[in-house]
Amino acid sequence: MSIKIIKKGLSDRIIDAGRFGFQHLGIQPSGPMDFLSAQLANTILDNDLNHPVFELHFPASVFEFEEDMYICICGANFVPVMNEKSVALNIPIKVSPKDQLSFLQPIEGRSCYLAFKGNLDESKKWLNSFSSFQTTLNKGDHFIIHKVPEIAISINPFKQNTIQQIQKNLFNEHEIRFIPGPAWNDLDPVSIQKIMQSSFTIHAKSNRMGFLFNGPAIHLSAPTEYLSSAVTMGTLQLLPSGQIIVLMADHQTIGGYANLGQIILVDLPRLAQLNNQCPFKLSITNVQTAHQLYRSIQSWFMH
Amino acid sequence: MQSQRPTFQIQLLGDHAIVYKINTGQLKDIDPTLLAFTQFVMNEKINGLKDIILAYDTLTLIYDIIYFDSNPYLFAHTILEAFNASKNNMVSIEERSIIEIPVCYDMSLGIDLQNAVKASNCSIAELVKQHSEKIYTVYCLGFLPGFAYMGEVPNAIQLPRHPSPRSKVLAGSVGIAGKQTGIYPMNSPGGWQIIGRTPIKIFDPTSASLTLFKAGDQVKFKPIDLELFHTLNAHEDVD
Repeated sequence: MSIKIIKKGLSDRIIDAGRFGFQHLGIQPSGPMDFLSAQLANTILDNDLNHPVFELHFPASVFEFEEDMYICICGANFVPVMNEKSVALNIPIKVSPKDQLSFLQPIEGRSCYLAFKGNLDESKKWLNSFSSFQTTLNKGDHFIIHKVPEIAISINPFKQNTIQQIQKNLFNEHEIRFIPGPAWNDLDPVSIQKIMQSSFTIHAKSNRMGFLFNGPAIHLSAPTEYLSSAVTMGTLQLLPSGQIIVLMADHQTIGGYANLGQIILVDLPRLAQLNNQCPFKLSITNVQTAHQLYRSIQSWFMH
Repeated sequence: MQSQRPTFQIQLLGDHAIVYKINTGQLKDIDPTLLAFTQFVMNEKINGLKDIILAYDTLTLIYDIIYFDSNPYLFAHTILEAFNASKNNMVSIEERSIIEIPVCYDMSLGIDLQNAVKASNCSIAELVKQHSEKIYTVYCLGFLPGFAYMGEVPNAIQLPRHPSPRSKVLAGSVGIAGKQTGIYPMNSPGGWQIIGRTPIKIFDPTSASLTLFKAGDQVKFKPIDLELFHTLNAHEDVD
């Protein structure tokens, strides 16, 4: 069986949890923008959490399915329709041959995840990962899916609870928490105040490499040159222009701008789903809290 | 015997990375202890470690929170103690072989050459001589797969980055940014001053080693003419 792309989206791709173990060669992990929605879509289909999924941005690709299979859509709401009939998010959907899935308009969120039951052909794998390497989905792309023994997939109370918890984490208003980094103390005191008190929004020029923040200009106490060091998803950098950028899923492996801090892992999915017009605030937390939060989130996925 | 090894300072980078910073003062070459520590961590295959990133004077470990039920500082110290107790805690950097990279410094490929000679107030021949006589050290890989940060570029031909990056720099292009020189492994946007192009591939996703360079390597550029460049050209995207 297979999934075919019959219309190209803006920048859709296949991803899994990411390609790890090669950053010392400059090879980025290229994982999901919102790991929670990707994991949720897989959980609903009883897949492994790291199973490959399609990550979609609006306007999204149009998909055609060749045979019966289960799929699930999570994350951003782009109003999915199957053969022009609306379908729900966060439930298993059984598709039939020639069914076409398209997305009408972006209502909430930026990254949508399409999971499927079955195994993606290994030929799509490079360095232990299915994550796209600098390629996006094109019209005519054909993904061969190897069938797995079919069992009816349904939403049980455990899954219901996981869905509710994740929706709450993604789309309820809360501050984006970070841990101050090596250049935090190089900021001028007024700039620190501005960061802690201002509302920010995400600049329209943002992409999978990074989100630029709209907000007050931020400055260091004195111009400082930094030797390049490792950066990762969630690293807050200060650009020479006074603008803050947070590195996202397609981040570089090392960077030389002032490293102001690191957004904690559990808040990255919410940030990744924030629409440009949604204001948000930043707040400081610590490693112990971040670890506790991450562990409790991962426990949602465990029976 | 008391060792003269430099010491590491441990910092946390957010909630999923540990940074070891080596205190060496001036960084004239890659630090042999930092290089040995990198190799040690790679060989240990530590559970829960997802990635390790060497960058000039730091080694960063990316870890999976789920594997960590203890304080990450404690974990960081345990790795460092194991390294200090190991036998191979120095890498001899004197015996490194030199990788020779052919570069064509023709104006058609070195698209910033004209600008570069003006800025450094010398002739093209002088700039090529200065750039290609020096033996560079690969401090680290990053930015793009296989992109090697090499240094240091002689003072006279150091050039600042372009204020805003070009939308497309061709694979194999050789650039200068301040004290650093490097080769673009693939077509990519980029802000470095391009002074030439190598015909050879420095990143190949289908090869076992993936990248031509690794941290600690020594590199020397060998000037070639345009004819030889076209004979040797291994890049698919030729304009």
